[in-house]
Amino acid sequence: MDWSTVFSLSTLTNTINTATIVILAGLGCLMTDQAGMMNIGIDGMMTFGAFAAVIGSWACASWEMGLLFALAVGLVLGAFYGLFVIRFKSDEFIIGVALNIFAAAMTTFMLRSIPGQKGSFHPATGAVIKLPTITIAGMNFSMMVPLSWLLVLLAWIMIYRTPLGFWLHASGEHPDSLRSVGRSPEKMKYLASLMCGALCGLSGAYLSLGYLSTFTENMSASRGYVAVACVIFGRSNPPLVFLAALLFGFIDAAGQRMQGVVDPYLTAALPYVGTILMMVILALRQTRRKKAH
Amino acid sequence: MKSAERTRYLASLAISVLLALLVGALIMLATGHNPLEGYGALLAGAFGDERAIGNTLYKSAQLCITGLATAVASSSGIFNVGGEGQMFLGALASAWLGTLLKGSSPWIAVPACFLIAILAGAIYAWIPAVLKIKLKINEVITTILMNSIAIFFCTYMANGPLKTAERGVNQGTDALDKAFRFPRLIRSSNLTETIFWIAVISLFVWYLMSRTTTGFEMRLTGQNSRFARFAGLKAETLGILGMLISGAMCGALGMFETFGLQSRFKPDFSNEFYFDGMLVAMIMKYKPLGTILMSFFFGALKMGAVTMQSRTGISSELILIVQSIIIFFMAAEEGIMASIKARRTVRKAAMTLSKEVTG
Amino acid sequence: MQFPDALANDDVSLDIHRGEIFALVGENGAGKSTLMNILYGMCTPTGGEVIVKGKRVQRFSPADAIAAGIGMVHQHFMLVPSFTVAQNIVLNDEPRRHGLFYDFRAANATVERLVAEYGLRVNAEDKVQDISVGLQQRVEILKTLHRGADVLILDEPTAVLTPQETDELFDVIRRIVREKQMTVIIITHKLYEVMAISDRVGVMRAGKLVGVCETKDVNERILASMMVGKEVLLDALERIDDHDATPAIEVRDLHVADNRGLPAVRGLSLKVERGEILGIAGIEGNGQSELIEAITGMRPVDSGKVFIQGQDVTGKNPRQIRAAGLAHVPEDRLSTGVSAQASITENLLVGKEKDARFSIGKFHMKKQAVHAYAQEVFDRFDIRAASVDKAVGSLSGGNMQKVVVAREFSFDTPVLIISQPTRGVDIGAMDFIHKQIMDKRNQSCAILLVSADLDELYRLSDRMVTVYEGQITGEFIPSQIEKTELSYYMTGGRKEDANEKR
Repeated sequence: MDWSTVFSLSTLTNTINTATIVILAGLGCLMTDQAGMMNIGIDGMMTFGAFAAVIGSWACASWEMGLLFALAVGLVLGAFYGLFVIRFKSDEFIIGVALNIFAAAMTTFMLRSIPGQKGSFHPATGAVIKLPTITIAGMNFSMMVPLSWLLVLLAWIMIYRTPLGFWLHASGEHPDSLRSVGRSPEKMKYLASLMCGALCGLSGAYLSLGYLSTFTENMSASRGYVAVACVIFGRSNPPLVFLAALLFGFIDAAGQRMQGVVDPYLTAALPYVGTILMMVILALRQTRRKKAH
Repeated sequence: MKSAERTRYLASLAISVLLALLVGALIMLATGHNPLEGYGALLAGAFGDERAIGNTLYKSAQLCITGLATAVASSSGIFNVGGEGQMFLGALASAWLGTLLKGSSPWIAVPACFLIAILAGAIYAWIPAVLKIKLKINEVITTILMNSIAIFFCTYMANGPLKTAERGVNQGTDALDKAFRFPRLIRSSNLTETIFWIAVISLFVWYLMSRTTTGFEMRLTGQNSRFARFAGLKAETLGILGMLISGAMCGALGMFETFGLQSRFKPDFSNEFYFDGMLVAMIMKYKPLGTILMSFFFGALKMGAVTMQSRTGISSELILIVQSIIIFFMAAEEGIMASIKARRTVRKAAMTLSKEVTG
Repeated sequence: MQFPDALANDDVSLDIHRGEIFALVGENGAGKSTLMNILYGMCTPTGGEVIVKGKRVQRFSPADAIAAGIGMVHQHFMLVPSFTVAQNIVLNDEPRRHGLFYDFRAANATVERLVAEYGLRVNAEDKVQDISVGLQQRVEILKTLHRGADVLILDEPTAVLTPQETDELFDVIRRIVREKQMTVIIITHKLYEVMAISDRVGVMRAGKLVGVCETKDVNERILASMMVGKEVLLDALERIDDHDATPAIEVRDLHVADNRGLPAVRGLSLKVERGEILGIAGIEGNGQSELIEAITGMRPVDSGKVFIQGQDVTGKNPRQIRAAGLAHVPEDRLSTGVSAQASITENLLVGKEKDARFSIGKFHMKKQAVHAYAQEVFDRFDIRAASVDKAVGSLSGGNMQKVVVAREFSFDTPVLIISQPTRGVDIGAMDFIHKQIMDKRNQSCAILLVSADLDELYRLSDRMVTVYEGQITGEFIPSQIEKTELSYYMTGGRKEDANEKR
């Protein structure tokens, strides 16, 4: 096998392109995680976001509207998630899993309700307008790629450098501490849910208007769960989550490169294997550190 | 569950189901369909003729065994979202052994294939269980990722090393010996003899969960594992046991599909069967008897939806939407009831206090 | 401040004056904390009114309380462990740069100014999770002072402090009252502290305010009788002396770590013989919980040995240790002692389900036998609930505790480990549980009893040991030692200091 093809320039762009899906969703998941909620439902939020973006982009013939649609749907889903987990105190895993199943079913249903569409969105008239691209160091990227880097930086600043971020974190680590100084931890949790929804909407929009240029059924392909794993691995710290997502992206891209030599079905499984291994390594290190203590 | 609580639960379940079906009707309206026509086609598809009833029964059996698989793992504290992958591995393992044993006596081959299927499913469920119990790694994430891994792996096997030489078969293993297969009970319906085996397994699991010391201990472990350890139960073993049984059931279903309907392993044999059953168990709060009974209701809905789709063009995904909406409704109802209860307690405490202070 | 009830007698109200130290005393569960939580806005009353500085309180929320100048130091600290001291002190009132960013320098300066003003030394940049409990309490106090509080409520402030830290805290309180004209309300159940620090004292019992006095007019005896009231003077329990000198529990030079990995039990040894109750007295957090968990197998042992009935059970799991002849009533019934979702029947059955009378071949459960057994225990232990099928989580504390005691005692083991058997339990259930414990002793069980309630220890124990920081500081016969003297040993046995206080 020729390793030079695995470590080539196009592997780098592939790595970044794939990682961006996970980075954006991971930032969303990180917001809820800071506020003490493990949001498994981001996969569904991404799926909805991807669908809304494609429809918006096609119907209004503008990528801006696609982005706006995705953001709006994300915010609605964030509020929905918050309502159940914060207000009704429902089990966050049950709501998350139900949300994912609902999202997959609902988007598939809506897609098939459009005459002539099944499997993926191929409109007879009009076209899906993709997000604009930007050239960085001679490589073409979707605008969402540098935006995601910027968002990583902003998330880090917010969490570690602003009072808002402190309140967000306090609402997760010790909600009563926040309550006792006169600020509602519930409101912070809602804020986190909304931010999560918006970021997952962006991730979905990138998935369908940047990474690809159509919506396909179940197009998130469990990447939402990968993002959750990255958040756990990166201990909810934006730059670390970013690195974990890049690692995932690299395994995915390297797998695609190896397709000439290894069966594509096996390489497709690689990122998932890698993600689980990542979690096992982290857990092993943590238990060892605890024992040493 | 005590009776008043059960009545209330059943009442809210009934209301949730009706409301969800109503939402389903609204969705039909919104997409330009006639709900009466849609649900009419659904009913006809579920019970219209012998073949429809056969299909419905078989679908119910599928939901029943997968639902119980979810329930048994959840009762001991692990949320198994990975049944799909466990089912795939069970299907592939049994197909592989089945083709190897071609020509031998079905009395040896079929039980052997069954054993390897449940073994494959159980081992694949054991991994996330151990990761959860020993390393506290969240099982929802590992099991769902392991689904993808298993499906990719099985697809690879069916396209690569185990691919049949038969012409006209796009992807899949060699066909299984006719003598190994479970015959159909109703011609041209999906109902095969496997339904008896599914019934036997389901009854056994129901019995295990609700009438035995093991089920009792598993339940307590799932409810409060610290208490279980304190009381001298083997909490870790019981948690893993629940997952082993769950995985074995999924593996068994994989084998039944392969040796019943499909006649060979095909990577497209399942349309996310496991998640359908998982939703039934979630709606019934992992209660075994409730899961079994509810399977028939959703079996009818699911099978009817296929006819609905072909006759009216309404996508069968609608039923999945209805199912998840029921879960949302139930979760909301529970939350609202709990908050009312909490408000009452606070008021009571405050009242006593004001009296006390006045004393 | 007043708490008159708008509906009933207008006679009783509680007024607290500016610049005084007011102590609110009462047993556990007497309603002290609830009363103060209303004042601080964490609970809302339905009747009555609260008047602060002449103004009637309209809305009850922590924000309103802070605005009115009320600050509260909760029993469980309201601090974010991963934040620094400064971050916690200015939480929700952060100094900012450019209106957006947290100003680290200004926050640290604020803390230093507070430290200088009130003489409470803390390091602004330390993380709260890394500092001692006493320092964390200072952070809490500074947090309220930073918000401009001139009324300070301290809920059980000394429960977690060492005697030295307690002295320091009292110095601080006296100083802020004297110099800053602060009003301080201390909630406690330790009478010598009331005598040491307060100007006036209010006594609560079973939810009622039974009296308010000038501290100089009362003494500990009077307060104690007010606190306890008549009805708590329980009859003495019958003791049959059938003492057997064989040790059933033996702990040798035990070392155990707490959850943070710090030493909690440090070289502790004890023996309990058959037919005796050994009581362990100590302020909470001095290693009692870790000791019991280590004996019963819920926590790993660092070094030392534990013997049950002569059998070495060191490092065994709870299952193996129970098999050696031990049953255990844990200190926290909700997290450890029951499954709240399971029924009373199921909670009573746990551990016996594989007995031949309840199952065939250790597998098939005999439903009727189980039900009959549960019903019999339910009646015998006088558990008050609609039926044995009720979820245990729906029971009151006393009835839930009865379920735990009923299950553990019916194992008929020769050794019993009992922690806080009557915490949060009403008097009737308490008396009942005490009688059950004494019966077990009279049937020559060896019983190790841990309790934060000294009356309980005096009533039940044959012998008592005091523990302080994971070590035994003394051994006593209950009839031969006064409570006040015992509490000196519970705080490290500094007899000289305590004599002055008396």
